Amino acid sequence: MTLHHGVSLEATDRRPTVLLVDDDEVNLLMTAAALRDRGFDITSTTGGEEALTRLASWTPDVVVLDAIMPGLDGFETCVALRNMPGFDHVPVLMLTGLDDEASINRAYQVGATDFFVKATQWSLLAGRLRYLLRASRTRQELERSKAKLARAQDLARMGSFDWWQEEGRSFVNGLELSEEGLRVFGYGPDDRVNLRDMLRMIAPTDREPLVRLARQILYQVSVIATDVPMTLPDGRFRIIHVEAEPEFDEHGHCCAYTGIVQDVTDRRIAEDRIRHLANYDALTNLPNRRQLIWRAERALEFGRRLGHQVALLLIDLDRFKVINDTLGHAAGDELLMEVAFRLRGCVRHCEQLFEGVIETAGSRSHRTLEAVGRLGGDEFVALLPEVADEADAQRVATRILEALREPVVVAGQDCFATASVGIALFPRDGNTVADLLRNSDVAMYAVKSQGRNDALVYTPRLAGRGREKLALESALHKAIERDELVLYYQPKIDVANGKMVGVEALMRWRRGDLLIQPADFIPVAEETGLIVPMSEWALRQAAKQARIWADAFGFSDSIAVNMPNRMFERTDLIEQISAAVRDEGIPHSMIQLEITETGLMKDLQRVIPSLHRLTEIGVQIAVDDFGTGYSSLAYLTSLPIAEVKIDRSFVRDLGVLPQSLAVVTAIIALAKSLDLKVVAEGVENTRQQDVLYGEGCTLMQGFLFSKPLPPEDIQAWMEQVVLPRKAPWMPPVPKARTGTETIVDGGRRS
Amino acid sequence: MTPVYGADMLTLEGENARVFLNQGAMVELNNSGIEGMATRPVLDAACMAELRALDPDGKAQLVKRVLTTYLASLAKLVEQLRVARAEGAWEQVSRVAHTLKSSSASIGALALSALCADIERLLRAGDVAGASALIDPFHAEVSRVDAAVSQTLQHLEAAAS
Repeated sequence: MTLHHGVSLEATDRRPTVLLVDDDEVNLLMTAAALRDRGFDITSTTGGEEALTRLASWTPDVVVLDAIMPGLDGFETCVALRNMPGFDHVPVLMLTGLDDEASINRAYQVGATDFFVKATQWSLLAGRLRYLLRASRTRQELERSKAKLARAQDLARMGSFDWWQEEGRSFVNGLELSEEGLRVFGYGPDDRVNLRDMLRMIAPTDREPLVRLARQILYQVSVIATDVPMTLPDGRFRIIHVEAEPEFDEHGHCCAYTGIVQDVTDRRIAEDRIRHLANYDALTNLPNRRQLIWRAERALEFGRRLGHQVALLLIDLDRFKVINDTLGHAAGDELLMEVAFRLRGCVRHCEQLFEGVIETAGSRSHRTLEAVGRLGGDEFVALLPEVADEADAQRVATRILEALREPVVVAGQDCFATASVGIALFPRDGNTVADLLRNSDVAMYAVKSQGRNDALVYTPRLAGRGREKLALESALHKAIERDELVLYYQPKIDVANGKMVGVEALMRWRRGDLLIQPADFIPVAEETGLIVPMSEWALRQAAKQARIWADAFGFSDSIAVNMPNRMFERTDLIEQISAAVRDEGIPHSMIQLEITETGLMKDLQRVIPSLHRLTEIGVQIAVDDFGTGYSSLAYLTSLPIAEVKIDRSFVRDLGVLPQSLAVVTAIIALAKSLDLKVVAEGVENTRQQDVLYGEGCTLMQGFLFSKPLPPEDIQAWMEQVVLPRKAPWMPPVPKARTGTETIVDGGRRS
Repeated sequence: MTPVYGADMLTLEGENARVFLNQGAMVELNNSGIEGMATRPVLDAACMAELRALDPDGKAQLVKRVLTTYLASLAKLVEQLRVARAEGAWEQVSRVAHTLKSSSASIGALALSALCADIERLLRAGDVAGASALIDPFHAEVSRVDAAVSQTLQHLEAAAS
């Protein structure tokens, strides 16, 4: 019978097929007639041999065998039939004599489904056959459903088990696994396994807690649901999920457990992976922000309960952004991985934590929370779950700074990835993880502003400054969008003839009613990288202004714009400038760039190519704050620069400190020998003017001539101060060619 | 011999009770002499009616086929029994008796069926002497049944033509 037969039998009105075997032909004829009459499809044979031949190619729904036959009798036929493939469960009805008890017993022994006493009670026979067919169908369905279950269990690597109590209330031996259950452990269907075998598959370290758990479950008569790591007899490591419910005897006592075992290794691996992804940083494999905060929260709970201090160290790499920007992200990532590796060595870093384990592992278990994690970007955190005092935390911080002192080789270059470390202690510096993070951040910022590469413990004194800075940072972001930045302009004067030879553009931030000076926001802008868009804006703004002044009063000199050195490293600087001057229809020469000497020297090799190209297109370069850095004179001779500006500190001390005069004299001599223009900055009085003039420096800038002015005031200053030649700094002997001519010259458009 | 039947018979119910009665008559017969048998029909009317009911409109000519088959197998089996008995092959005798017992019962030859049942049972119990004593009555009854069935067949032929 095919698998689907049982189902369709009920649904269709197909007549059930019956093979009738009886050597008594009379009986055969009559039985066949009677059963046909009652809806059966009868095939008759008169002997066992013939019946088996028939069955070789055909499977009836039911076989009716006469027990006593010459030749192969009913019993022998039944045995042979049962041995044929596919005939395990075909119902066989054995016809026996009325008084033949031996035959009846034998019928069951040889595998007959039932017996029927030979008689002419056809309705009874037909009823018996129908019953057999129905039972057979039910059996088939059950078999199929069992097979399905077995298949499903196999697919799910699952099997069932029973675990019962034997006399003496012991649960040790009463264990039976289903075939599928045995397969979960790699056993065959005939293997016998007891509880001891099972326990032997569990590592000794896991065994004891499991036995303890089992005792507790049995004691409480609760449901079993646990994952057990096991090494199967074939050596495979697997995680087996056990789930079972208690069964009760008539007295309400738990007498057994029945449930399933399932190989959940793959699921657990996937779960662990998901958990890992959720809790660990993909790049460095360190705990991520989420995991760190979780650990820190647990650490604070322990600290609170056991009364000890917890330290949080915020570690921020110095100049990481520069490395990332100049060497690329791949190099940046490489650096972060190396730093992560070194930081890990600075604490007793615990890789994995199983939630729940920590609660039960004894009083020192909070130590396992100790870790280094990555908050994101170049920010790391070291969590010290128990420190005796501030010095403890500082020792770790020192270790960290030491570890980062060695250069890291990335992209074939030595990089110095020093760090600034801010330390906050629980409970002194905060009661929550958020507080501790914020305050360690404040301390870290303080380190940054004090020159980086150091560690500081938080103090409330630091807090005010940090917050102010944070507010500044976010406001500065918005300043560009809101058009709050403005350029002020300070004229450069040639005191030899009393003419303006150019202006320097100086950035101001109009924040509400306040006008904020560059010293108060440029450092933050540098730090945050905002300096780039700000410089680009300044370039465009200066070009616009040159156009406006050229139209208004024939301005034809250059506007000097301050550029941080990182702008020179940008490949698009030339295009930016070209686009700005093109848009305004002014020559490149009307834009001059100022770079500080320190900025220039910081990464000279990377800046030089830009300087050359800028000079080629007519953009002059001035070196600002000259004398404060440590310029190599050799470099200076070969650099494409047009102008040096003597730092205001030397000018200020002219006539006060003799060294200043020496420096100024030297700079002027150097500039002259290299054929560079030299401009003195910060000239505030005529005495300074006279000294400089005496040394041969005629180009000057400072309050003596004009403070930085809003653009609309420049023309007025020209008209009211320069042209009337009334100012005290005007050369004593006016020459024939005066400022009037400047205007004439300046009206020339090129 | 009565106790031999008793226990088994009492378990029967319904339709089978009739069989019990017939066999009960057989017991009487054995006790009261051969002439008792003549008072009963050779073929039980009720059994014949049942047989006819299997093929009510006679289309399949079932009755004719059954009776023809019966006569053929009766001749064959009786011959087999005779040979077996002559050879002292009692087991073979028992098997023939078994087969003849049920087919005879089927066509209503209840007396013959009962005799066969007795022979089979006695032989299975090892009572060869008891069984041997029934062989002659068996042959006598076979002749009666043969005659009765042949007659019935002739009636059927006549009715059909």
